Amino acid sequence: MEHSILTLSDIAKYPFIPEASEYVKRLDFRIENLLDENYAPILDRAEKRIIDALTTNPPKVSFNPREYSEDIEIISFPVAIVLVSALANEYVKKRYALAEARRAYELLKEESEEKIVEVAKKFGWRIRFPGEKIGLVKFDFALNFIDYLRNISALSHEKDWKLVNRPVLRGEVHLSRHDVARLLQEEAQRYIEAKIDPKARSLIPEKIIERLEKLRQAYLDKMRESPAESLASVGVVSDAFPPCIRQLYEAAQSGRHIPHVGRFTLTSFLIKIGMNQDIIVDLFRKSSDFNERMTRYQIEHIAGERGSGTKYTPPKCDTLQTHGLCPGMDDLCKRIKHPLTYYLRRTRSLKRKAK
Amino acid sequence: MGMDNQAFIYRMFSKFYNENIDRIETPKSIENREFGFTIFKENVMIRHKGFMRAEDLKEFIRKTVPSNVYYSTAYYIMPEAKMDEKGWLGSDLFFDIDADHMPTECNKIHDTWTCEKCGLTSNGVTPKKCPRCGSESFDEKTWPCEKCLEAAKVETIKLIDMLTGDLGFSISEIKCSFSGHRGYHIQVESEEILKLDSTARKEIVDYVTGTGIDAIFHGLELINYGEARILVGPNLDDFGWRGRAARGTYEFLLKATAEDLKRLGLKSRVINEILANKNEILESWKTSGPWNMVRGLGLNGWRKIIQRGISLQSAKIDTVVTVDIHRLIRLPGTLHGKTGLLKVSFPASEIEAFDPLKEAVAFKGGEAKIYVEEAPKFRLGDEDFGPFKKQTVSLPLSAAIFLLCKDAGEVIDSNV
Ligand SMILES: [Zn+2]
Ligand SMILES: [Zn+2]
Repeated sequence: MEHSILTLSDIAKYPFIPEASEYVKRLDFRIENLLDENYAPILDRAEKRIIDALTTNPPKVSFNPREYSEDIEIISFPVAIVLVSALANEYVKKRYALAEARRAYELLKEESEEKIVEVAKKFGWRIRFPGEKIGLVKFDFALNFIDYLRNISALSHEKDWKLVNRPVLRGEVHLSRHDVARLLQEEAQRYIEAKIDPKARSLIPEKIIERLEKLRQAYLDKMRESPAESLASVGVVSDAFPPCIRQLYEAAQSGRHIPHVGRFTLTSFLIKIGMNQDIIVDLFRKSSDFNERMTRYQIEHIAGERGSGTKYTPPKCDTLQTHGLCPGMDDLCKRIKHPLTYYLRRTRSLKRKAK
Repeated sequence: MGMDNQAFIYRMFSKFYNENIDRIETPKSIENREFGFTIFKENVMIRHKGFMRAEDLKEFIRKTVPSNVYYSTAYYIMPEAKMDEKGWLGSDLFFDIDADHMPTECNKIHDTWTCEKCGLTSNGVTPKKCPRCGSESFDEKTWPCEKCLEAAKVETIKLIDMLTGDLGFSISEIKCSFSGHRGYHIQVESEEILKLDSTARKEIVDYVTGTGIDAIFHGLELINYGEARILVGPNLDDFGWRGRAARGTYEFLLKATAEDLKRLGLKSRVINEILANKNEILESWKTSGPWNMVRGLGLNGWRKIIQRGISLQSAKIDTVVTVDIHRLIRLPGTLHGKTGLLKVSFPASEIEAFDPLKEAVAFKGGEAKIYVEEAPKFRLGDEDFGPFKKQTVSLPLSAAIFLLCKDAGEVIDSNV
């Protein structure tokens, strides 16, 4: 790493680059160290990173080199990742990744061309800064168009991010400094989200878990509930799902691939029983080909908010059987012809039982 | 009735595959591809087939003699598994350019459609709804005519230009082929694009079709010039869509009639001024462009004109095909069941001179006597045939099979 132009203060600014984790490794830092009083500032800073993400809007982790030393800044990042992982909350995960990425964006915008390129190359980007003028506009950077496409999926609903509205020559998209920083924000966000792994909880000492629970309690109102918890609050009774919907619902929750008809069936069913669209979007989040924009579009389409305005109803039982989506009938199934009827009957009888 | 058409075509396809099995082009990483076939008798698609080696695939084709052979643009861990269990590894970037999707000079008068419900028959492009009964299902008979194929070639050339000049693929990475019917296929087998998801492929589709494009992102803008505000715009020799927008606009204005301009919603005074100064406007591209030459024509008016120019420059592809990462496509070196012509590949750099109706002829030598119900004039190789109507003719085997595959006649006798 000798020829890298990135200094320790750069690493503190962009703690997601490989140099940062190498630095942490060299310090021989372990998660158990956090129990040691000397490491308290790191734990505090890690917690602050998460609190920043939850309490600012739009979310952004603060950058304050006068308050935090470079060491604290660098080590607190992987610690915060572990803490967020342990919280196992999809909303906090997204929000935290976004907040860190937005911080990086604000800092990158102010960097020299060389530094921006250096950080971009950490993500494998094929980028250079020819500083060419096209028409009246000077474009500092040229980025491989595949690297560009990988990072605009959340942006391309805005006309000016569409590839067709960009100067593209011999496989490169010509971009301003501001645009490159914005695309790096997308890349960083995805990278950080991927680092957050709920399994990490088992690695954390009990004492820290306790502290984390306090954090959870303190910011409960800021952490939106995960889909399963909130179902009941909007009046959705998952116990009343027919077997076909239950199977699809569980597949979605665990991120298994669901064929198109299945997605359509599940989505139209959930809309019909009054589930909030955001919660339906969250439900599909684990799928390997998840794309928020596409998912939202499909949901709105099925809900009749787009296109022809038709509000779609889930298919009847015999259609579901044709498509192989009926996992086998229970007693109630034999008496009905439509999954929605099943749900209505079952919710009614569950309510009666509850009384 | 003489011989059974299908039995005859089957026999000829079988003979062809026996003698020409090595014309079949084995796709890269054959073990990761899904194959699909249609069989003469059942006319159903057999999917989810996989082959470990080229010899196995060829042996299968020789034994089964399918009416059509397809393979996946995708690579899978287990190509024979069910769709959601295959394990997608990536897909080639694929484009389908078919005359069905473009307006042509011949207006497709050679094509016929028959309403499946009420039996109404007519020529030209198939309507969305039957004008007589409103039904939406039709039996179509389409023909690969010179003009249609030429139109498809023009679109393919535009596409190749964008793939190389703009997106930076080398011409050798671009596999080009004639589909065996009415269009061309373009396939990019590059490591780089394998993993692109449908959303990213959609962006590429929008790029080559000019979808969502706006001239204000390609140089059209009002700027301060001393005390005045003047309009600037793209130049003919700019790169990418910028130059394409300028060239398309030039091309549009060159031929534009008052009617064309009216359709853009321009005021008649503006239209008259454009038409009266057409030569000066076209001339002005050599210098600073026409942006400030027409009084009353400002940024928004030009924006609409450029939009027309852009549609002339866009490549008309079948947008659904490129976005579908699980698509099955025809295997090069195999016969098209609807024409008896070969899907043939050729170097993209040679497309200008490529003659599909010559290169795709599979059956050489031999003759057959057939009864033709109805067929428009067509060419195969260097020979013209037809038009035919309710007559018995002796034809070279390739032309006879072509008509029989099109279901335009009945085989009577053959020397093969
Ligand atoms: Zn009809
Ligand atoms: Zn034609």
